[in-house]
Amino acid sequence: MKNRTLIYSVVVLLGVSLFSCKGEEEYHSISDKIEGESKPYHGALTSEQLLADTELIEITEGEHTFLIPERKGQIKSFACIECHSKPVSQMIGKDAPKAHWDIKVNHANSDAMNCATCHNGEDMNQLNTLTGKNIDFNLSYKLCSQCHSSQFEDWKGGAHGKKVAGWAPPRASNTCVNCHNPHSPSFEKRWPVQFNTKTAIERNEGLGH
Amino acid sequence: MSDNKKWYSLDLGLNNKKESSGSCGCGKSEGSCSSTPKEQVEEELSPEEFYEAAINASIGEERHRDGFEQVFDVKMDRRSAFKKLTASLLIGAGAVTTSCSVTTGSDTKEKAQIDWEEQFKGNYKLMTDEEKQGTINRLMRSYELRTDKKINMTAENAAEDVLFGYAFNISKCQGYMNCVNACVEENNQDRNSEMQYIRIHEMKDGEGFKFDKADDNYYHEVPAEGHFYMGTQCFHCDNPPCVEVCPVQATWKEEDGLVVIDYDWCVGCRYCMAACPYDGRRFNWSKPEVPEPEVNKNQHYLGNRMRKKGVMEKCTFCVQRTRKGKNPACVEACPTGARIFGNLLDPNSTIRWVLENKKVFRLKEDLGTEPKFWYFMD
Ligand code: SF4
Ligand code: SF4
Repeated sequence: MKNRTLIYSVVVLLGVSLFSCKGEEEYHSISDKIEGESKPYHGALTSEQLLADTELIEITEGEHTFLIPERKGQIKSFACIECHSKPVSQMIGKDAPKAHWDIKVNHANSDAMNCATCHNGEDMNQLNTLTGKNIDFNLSYKLCSQCHSSQFEDWKGGAHGKKVAGWAPPRASNTCVNCHNPHSPSFEKRWPVQFNTKTAIERNEGLGH
Repeated sequence: MSDNKKWYSLDLGLNNKKESSGSCGCGKSEGSCSSTPKEQVEEELSPEEFYEAAINASIGEERHRDGFEQVFDVKMDRRSAFKKLTASLLIGAGAVTTSCSVTTGSDTKEKAQIDWEEQFKGNYKLMTDEEKQGTINRLMRSYELRTDKKINMTAENAAEDVLFGYAFNISKCQGYMNCVNACVEENNQDRNSEMQYIRIHEMKDGEGFKFDKADDNYYHEVPAEGHFYMGTQCFHCDNPPCVEVCPVQATWKEEDGLVVIDYDWCVGCRYCMAACPYDGRRFNWSKPEVPEPEVNKNQHYLGNRMRKKGVMEKCTFCVQRTRKGKNPACVEACPTGARIFGNLLDPNSTIRWVLENKKVFRLKEDLGTEPKFWYFMD
């Protein structure tokens, strides 16, 4: 009889201790918690509605597959061959109307780059790589990645650049030309958009005098 | 309205309009409550009776118990008992007078009813979904009655399998402050005191992070030669010291990792501000004022709704946006892509890629606060 109660109580104790360990999800650190509770998100939240107005195309680069905005529809004067009907070499000096004659290349130096580094003079509807392979305007990131390889790695993973809309899946990331003007890619010096006058006064006068 | 509310309601007759149309708080069925002065005298409570009734309505049976029982063995803590006692006297008096006056319309009565229920509602953290819905409905209606404008407030709970995290690229930030601007507008921050949840610190190259020497309020063209920029805000610590110290549990960590404040439960003691090692919290010394056309009408109870004076505020990772799948306003506004936001539990998210592939660090890691806000460089 005594033995039985002992066994019962041991079983009960064991059960309680097991349950209490499972119920309380205590993690030692945030990285343990992330590891412990990770699972691909298929919840109710999506960015689909936020992305509804943007035309997107899917790309796969290495192990990453995600969406980027379609580009050609956004370029004012696409298709280029509507004006550039012949190869550039044959159009030089013609009295044709000028559309974007004022573009200045402020990208690397002229020893490294000129128009033909990216544009295909023979077929203006196409871009071309350093080795002369045609690249679609929608996939212009492939040109940038020829030189900017570390930025390209970060962009693929999501450490460089911005999402098109929300954090929730599906992933849609802006491509290089959505933020950088390819003809003048670096960001300019400018005034900050905010200035807190109250803090400035407090700091200059001191709070306690 | 639910029957198992955790607060007391003053029935001004608004809820039984159908049974007796034209009735008012005085319980009369026809005409105005105070059609003749004589009758009104009869209807009104004597000061003693009113006092008795107010105490009954506010602390009820509790007043027959001793102090210890009141504090430790009650449905209500001492704070709310005190609050209810004084507030019920004030509001009750106001509500009773307005409900029985000839000059006040049904709008005023409704306002009084809403104020009453809002005054005695429970802590948001303990509310059922129904009660949450009740309070946001009242707040929306109250705003409409006061300004004639509609707002859209939600009480969305944390989604499952979501834990929000943030990463900040120090080499990308140029100090443009678009994030600060967007934050002020999104979160209805006081325009008078120029409160800002985000700070951008301008630091000298080669000196490391010296927050005491940093300039948080520069106004010159940026980026300035020989300087770098880094932003701070509430880091939504996974082990938040600010939550531990709150004497009334007005601030807590939600399931999706957001550290939030119930502005209506906060007593403004500022313990949490002292406990935060990251300067994450802001106290409003005056009633936040936003010009009506600039008010962001998409609100969340725990986020950007209009606060009252003397409570704690801070970054909520824009709970009103992020629980809908959007990015916080600062992330969306940043022109350099220095701000990355996402779900830490989703192995396919970009924030996870950053944590796993970049050299990330957090501020004051040795404190064990486990901020969910990481810094990294290109
Ligand atoms: S940063 Fe400060 S306010 Fe934010 S959760 Fe951590 S301790 Fe609390
Ligand atoms: S200021 Fe408000 S949130 Fe902070 S500790 Fe005091 S009551 Fe709690």
